[in-house]
Amino acid sequence: MAQTNNATLLRRDLLTRLCRLMLEDNLENIDRIPVEMMPRTGKAASRCCPYKGRAILRYRIMALLGYNVADETDELESLYNYALRALSGFDKGYGVLTVVDEACDGCVKSNYTVSNLCRGCLASHCMVSCPKGAIRMVDGKAHIDEYLCIGCGKCQQACPYHAIIYVPIPCEESCPVGAIKRGPDGKEHIDPEKCIHCGRCMTACPFGAIMYRSQIIHVLYEIKNQARPLVALVAPAIAGQFRAGFSQVRSALLKIGFSAVEQVAEGAAQTARNEAEEWIHKNADGQPVMTTSCCPAYVSLAEKHLPNLRPLVSDTPSPMVYSAMKAREKYPEAGIVFVGPCVAKQAEARKHGGLIDYVMTFEELGALLIARGIDVVNEPDSSGEIPLPETRFAMSGGVAASVQTYLPEGAEFPHVVVDGLNRKNVALLKTLPKNKNIKGLVEVMACEGGCLAGPGALTSTETAQKLFKENVPLPEKQWAP
Amino acid sequence: MNKITVEICYGTLCFVMGGEVFETLQEHLPEEIKQVVTLKGMVCPGYCHQQEKYGKPPFVKVQDRLICEANPQKIIACITNLMKDGSNQ
Ligand code: SF4
Ligand code: FES
Repeated sequence: MAQTNNATLLRRDLLTRLCRLMLEDNLENIDRIPVEMMPRTGKAASRCCPYKGRAILRYRIMALLGYNVADETDELESLYNYALRALSGFDKGYGVLTVVDEACDGCVKSNYTVSNLCRGCLASHCMVSCPKGAIRMVDGKAHIDEYLCIGCGKCQQACPYHAIIYVPIPCEESCPVGAIKRGPDGKEHIDPEKCIHCGRCMTACPFGAIMYRSQIIHVLYEIKNQARPLVALVAPAIAGQFRAGFSQVRSALLKIGFSAVEQVAEGAAQTARNEAEEWIHKNADGQPVMTTSCCPAYVSLAEKHLPNLRPLVSDTPSPMVYSAMKAREKYPEAGIVFVGPCVAKQAEARKHGGLIDYVMTFEELGALLIARGIDVVNEPDSSGEIPLPETRFAMSGGVAASVQTYLPEGAEFPHVVVDGLNRKNVALLKTLPKNKNIKGLVEVMACEGGCLAGPGALTSTETAQKLFKENVPLPEKQWAP
Repeated sequence: MNKITVEICYGTLCFVMGGEVFETLQEHLPEEIKQVVTLKGMVCPGYCHQQEKYGKPPFVKVQDRLICEANPQKIIACITNLMKDGSNQ
């Protein structure tokens, strides 16, 4: 998470309330949450009336129950019903992210708007330059018809007073693959065929109108029900989430009700070892470039958008998959829950149908700890559990660094780190199959900074990096290759 | 001059609800303030259980003043005030 903001905090507040109700067997009170948070009288912060505020909260909770908000058919259906239906195994369809359309309406219809610097000049360069005739003079000021405007920006360039400003649509701008677009209803929609589940739009939206579809109630239901044990597989980025060592996190998870806790860093060691071997073979066979495969958003990018890049992606399974395979062997009866900073892992888990039962974010873990009243810092610290060096998978550059350690001593190791799937880096990756200048291992991380900066992380990137380095004491030169 | 103590709640609730930013507070304090403060952590003092009374998390104490919905700006403002009226002398 780049930065914790009020939209993040609201989501965490809701998650905590939901966890509490689940833990207290009080789910039938779920429909009260919006009313409690937005009393009719009082100064609850809503942009408009409390009724709209409550409606938005209702849809947010739908997302937390795992639904796609757009699938609502009956506006009168209670959240409790939704919850029961989810718990009874109802198929909620698939998709990692959902647009809370009630919350999404803050953005402009057209990217260009006339500010009050407009003098309504005689020349009207803007009108003359607009190819669509979208500009009229209204009360002595230029006015852009948002339905005619195609967003070419010619008017902005033409105005000598710089009176026309560009207003971004943050989600669209953040999406590296053009998967989120405004529909005819004026709301944003995610195209599931194009979406790579990177979660960038969710982080970018200032209204928090894009949410991930949580699986938390299923995890809690199983914990309460105890029909089978649950094993938590904790991603390496955990080292940047709390002012606490892994043994404290483990102890907290056991208290919550998980029956065992495993470090995905162990799976990461396997990924690094096998990726090193794969690289040696492929390179010997004349393949000049291979990219990493641990970031599921990146793998989806290659699969859905860059078919020429697909063959260059490593075939080695991700740390999550290796860890899950091992856990299945070790705990054959158990349900497997991956706990990490990533929302795209939901999509990856689905590809490996049955191997991983649920994906949970660190943020959800945080909410759950609050609901259970567990303070991680107060858990016993039975140190001695030294983090594996592969914990650095969580940090940009760390995958390449780990692969290197499994290459023969002194082997040449050309490599490139692609830090973040912004549009520039996507363009670079597009050229990769033909790019003569790039050779070796290409590490790709969808989030700038690596998993530590994932959209489901608990800490802002700066905090995560600091805590991570404190918790994983590796010599400086071992962080990146 | 006595140092001003800034106590940050390390409880999970405060941490999750925005208090994580204080992990890097030291680095973000202006030089003149850095010199007069001592940063400390505290285990959850329980304010979070009485939010009607104390306000919302995260909680930070600057000397004996409790700051709710704390953020670096509020903390710095509070320290600056204390420095001005010399109550830390
Ligand atoms: S690809 Fe990423 S930014 Fe684009 S819609 Fe999907 S999650 Fe949002
Ligand atoms: S967690 Fe900070 S006051 Fe309780």
